[in-house]
Amino acid sequence: MDIKDFIAPFAVWKRAFEKPFTVKKPIDQRPGAPRYRGFHKNDVEKCVGCGTCEAICMNKAIDLVPVAGREAKAGDSGLRPKIDYGRCCWCALCVDICPSGSLSMSNEYLWIDRDPDAFRYVPGVDKKPWDEAKLGYARAEGYRLLEGKRVEMAELPHAEAIKSFLELVRGYSREQAEKEADRCVSCGVCVASCPVHMDIPGYIKAVRDGDLTTGLRLLYETNPFPEACGRVCTHLCEEACSIGSGGDPVAIRWLKRYIADQVELSNYGQILPRAEPSTGKKVAVIGAGPGGLSAAYYLALLGHKVTVFEKDEAAGGMLRYGIPEYRLPYPALDKDIGYIESLGVEIKRGAAVGPGLSLASLRRDFDAVYISTGLPLAYGLEIPGDSHPSVLDGVAVLAAATRGEALGLGAKVAVIGGGNVAMDAARTALRNGASVDILYRRREEDMPADPQEIAEAKAEGARLIEKAIPLEVKDAEEGGARFVWNEARMVQKEEGKRPVPETIPGAIREERYDSIIAAIGQGPELSFVTEEDGIAMKRFKPQVSREGKTSAGKVFAGGDLVNDRKDAISAIADGHRAAQGIDRLLGGKGA
Amino acid sequence: MEHPTFAEALDFAIGREKAAVAFYDELLSLASFAAQKSTLAEFRAMEEGHVSKLENMKAGGKLKLSAKAAVDLGLAERLALSELPVSGMTYQDILVSAIKKEERSGALYANLAASSPDAEIRDTFSLLAVEEGRHRRYFEELYDSEVARDN
Repeated sequence: MDIKDFIAPFAVWKRAFEKPFTVKKPIDQRPGAPRYRGFHKNDVEKCVGCGTCEAICMNKAIDLVPVAGREAKAGDSGLRPKIDYGRCCWCALCVDICPSGSLSMSNEYLWIDRDPDAFRYVPGVDKKPWDEAKLGYARAEGYRLLEGKRVEMAELPHAEAIKSFLELVRGYSREQAEKEADRCVSCGVCVASCPVHMDIPGYIKAVRDGDLTTGLRLLYETNPFPEACGRVCTHLCEEACSIGSGGDPVAIRWLKRYIADQVELSNYGQILPRAEPSTGKKVAVIGAGPGGLSAAYYLALLGHKVTVFEKDEAAGGMLRYGIPEYRLPYPALDKDIGYIESLGVEIKRGAAVGPGLSLASLRRDFDAVYISTGLPLAYGLEIPGDSHPSVLDGVAVLAAATRGEALGLGAKVAVIGGGNVAMDAARTALRNGASVDILYRRREEDMPADPQEIAEAKAEGARLIEKAIPLEVKDAEEGGARFVWNEARMVQKEEGKRPVPETIPGAIREERYDSIIAAIGQGPELSFVTEEDGIAMKRFKPQVSREGKTSAGKVFAGGDLVNDRKDAISAIADGHRAAQGIDRLLGGKGA
Repeated sequence: MEHPTFAEALDFAIGREKAAVAFYDELLSLASFAAQKSTLAEFRAMEEGHVSKLENMKAGGKLKLSAKAAVDLGLAERLALSELPVSGMTYQDILVSAIKKEERSGALYANLAASSPDAEIRDTFSLLAVEEGRHRRYFEELYDSEVARDN
């Protein structure tokens, strides 16, 4: 027997007064480490319900579910993640990948309940003791599984850009497009916000896979203007993009352009669906803008014979006559229009509906009529002196530029207004060598123009004068005209409404300009619609059903004339819906 | 109007509203297409409603109008339009005509209120001026949101 064998029973006493490492009762809680991955928390206001957590969970422990009192809205599906702790392995991939950063984990790990269903809950909705826990696992600052920065789009430098009408945006290379497409998580939150509900995740995946044939087909399912929209769309999708909730939204518009640019028009016929057999029905479309031609395209696909009546010498509407070439080159627009014509759509150019060609005759000679005449009339300044010869209409200036006419704007130009027409007019004037002031009645943040257009106008050299209330136009002895305005301050006059510009007493300014371009708004030209046509109107707007049907039965209407958004993509959506409605009227299925 | 009674003041206001109806009738006679006609008919119907409202109040012997002034958007005094009706009136032209008409009415009632020595009549004209301000505000809102969208 060894001496240690004698000492061993007594050696245990050296531990007698030490605190045991194990707890006496397992139920006693030891706090989790500060970044311990415990039960989930979710900031439900920050969460956009994109489902990326659901998609990445390898154990299918997360489901996106509806939540009482939470509705879907642009950029938010209205759903929220529900976690099943029978499946969760606490890997925190869901937290790491969450685009908005709303999902995190408390450091709480102890939860005892007899009801197994209790272990499936919606963090942030179903209240739990750990909701306010400060400790736990959240994505570390600066750490992202997703790429938050957009692939930068090459553009002409501004100093170079204003020397010509060359396209400003250069487009993505294949490598850039695939890299940008890779940022998309295919959550689909963008689809609902698009007026035509394009299959955006689908065509982005097509870019990622290098499958441009599928990409083009997906584009044309809902939108026959990919070249145009890929350049000038108001991109509501990007505003809704879930990646944008924690970084730059995916460049959905540029990716659409990429697909359209890569495929030659001569190959479209092999890729895109051809028209169904002729139905023998004839449809007249008034207006060859995006709305009218969208209706024409989908009607032609359904087998109807479509004739489009366009008052101008070229088709395209505001896409051609309102958007300058540096934003939308005419060859790109012509490609979109050319494909529509290739399906047998006849566009009669220089054919205005009016005294010589009445709406009544179209109603008589065609099985249905679609009116998409837009807002071609420029509203005036309605101030003393506004009929001065130096005061020009913004829409007319842009149309003249389209036709290649000499604009004669002079060296110093004022543009009155804050919409996209004002920005385009200002940038057109800059490209004609003028120095340009943009005067707007409210603040820059109130301007309805695309923020990017405003930024580019300023970067190109336009001076923005905010809070300038037009008062008068006076003759200038040295030629041109003097524009007089009152400086304003914004006053919150009513709760819940936007502040109103109020003149500052005595703060009257004036400046001489060679030309003053008015771009305050546009209205419809409806002199061709008589009472006998039977189309119910309210304040110069035809009243229509959801599919664009008027009270005149076989007459439909849509686009800027009817909707409130007044952009190309909404007009295209109206045209598509109307085509389906007309097809149903004519005995088809409206597919 | 020299020291009118309440009834006379109401008759004056009713007369002005009927004149407004006649104003829109004149415009309607010049209108040449459906959109003009339906807009003018809508505004005419509003004025007819004002006539009925005032006639009912006169019969009841009491003016039941809110004294709360409508917020002034400041458009009326700056807009200038040749007020000779033309057959090619746009929506903008029609709205400016309506705004200027309401502005003139409001100014007239305000002047009558200021010049009236009788408290009840002064209050009557003041309320009518405020009511015209509400009508003016209605058309100014339409102008701001549907015509001058971009400014």
